[in-house]
Amino acid sequence: MSAVAMKPEKKDAQDRMPRVKITEAQWSDEQKTEFLRRRRARNYLLLAALGGFCLIVYVIAMVKLHEYGRMW
Amino acid sequence: MSSQTTELFHDASLTPSLGAEPGDWLALLKPRVVSLVVFTGAIGLIIAPGHINPLIGAIAIFCIALGAGAAGAINMWYDRDIDAIMRRTTSRPIPAGKIEAAGALGFGVVLSVISVLLLAMATNLCAAAVLAFSIFYYAVIYTIWLKRRTPQNIVIGGGAGAFPAVIGWAAVTGNIGLLPMVLFFIVFFWTPPHFWSLSLYASTDYEKAGVPMLPVVKGARHTRWNVFVYTLILFPLALSPWFMGLTGWVYGATALVLGTVFVYYAWGVLRDRQDAKGVSLTKDQPARACFKFSILYLFLLFAACAVDRLV
Repeated sequence: MSAVAMKPEKKDAQDRMPRVKITEAQWSDEQKTEFLRRRRARNYLLLAALGGFCLIVYVIAMVKLHEYGRMW
Repeated sequence: MSSQTTELFHDASLTPSLGAEPGDWLALLKPRVVSLVVFTGAIGLIIAPGHINPLIGAIAIFCIALGAGAAGAINMWYDRDIDAIMRRTTSRPIPAGKIEAAGALGFGVVLSVISVLLLAMATNLCAAAVLAFSIFYYAVIYTIWLKRRTPQNIVIGGGAGAFPAVIGWAAVTGNIGLLPMVLFFIVFFWTPPHFWSLSLYASTDYEKAGVPMLPVVKGARHTRWNVFVYTLILFPLALSPWFMGLTGWVYGATALVLGTVFVYYAWGVLRDRQDAKGVSLTKDQPARACFKFSILYLFLLFAACAVDRLV
């Protein structure tokens, strides 16, 4: 066995989940559907979070400019 | 269907993960802890002298919650090895294989930065600085540095939960007053009897994971004494805002009654029927009662502080 093969795997590497393209994964149709559903849900959540962030910044700016006439 | 699928396929060594649900990311933020943080932060905001726009106040509380959640995510990232061992925490998103460790760390760091920046923008630099320090305190000083090194970990960790009231106050006033500092120390001294009451009957997990909780290192008898002594210290400390004229009679009477009951419960923990090593012969009934009351204690004490301010 080569020295490289004997080298213990790093902790971070053990944490990492196998990266397999959805097209190559040995998934059933049901699993693929579930994977896509979860990915879509995550993307919508990220979109909502970004939208929420913009909205909060907008509200802060409006309130501060209205009340104090300045942002800082 | 989704939970069943998660159960079947979360083992990353067998199949590629199907990915996390949005709820798994939410679980990283420790929502139950955040709910207490929101409460104490809101109290800090209410009792502070001065005016804050309700929208800005709501955003400030949101930022405090976000910062606390972010610190929780970093905590879960660092503790993923012991979380996988302890029964109470095996279902957390990282040990359950739903979220990658690096992803959780990135999530926590990004949310930390966003929460501090938003709070600075919405309120002032003082509140943002205290929030930033509280995240650092919980994630680095408590989780990374002290949690696995000293049986007094929870005493120091108590500071992390004590910050929200100070942040709420600072958000309104732009500085740190005497009253929020006293509230800080109340939470600080409340945490040991609260948590050690729990650890008296739930220390097996910590022992397995090698975390030096007080009952694991010093034994149950020593822990019982510590619960009692910290409760005794808390009693006059909780009354001090009243003595100093920072609060009115509503708070004073509430602190007196709650403090007396808390000492009674702590005395029960100390006098519980036990064997030579201090292990309970009553399935730790007094410790369970003390733990439950400690939550009610803090809730009512802080609520009384707010009521005092409003009446």
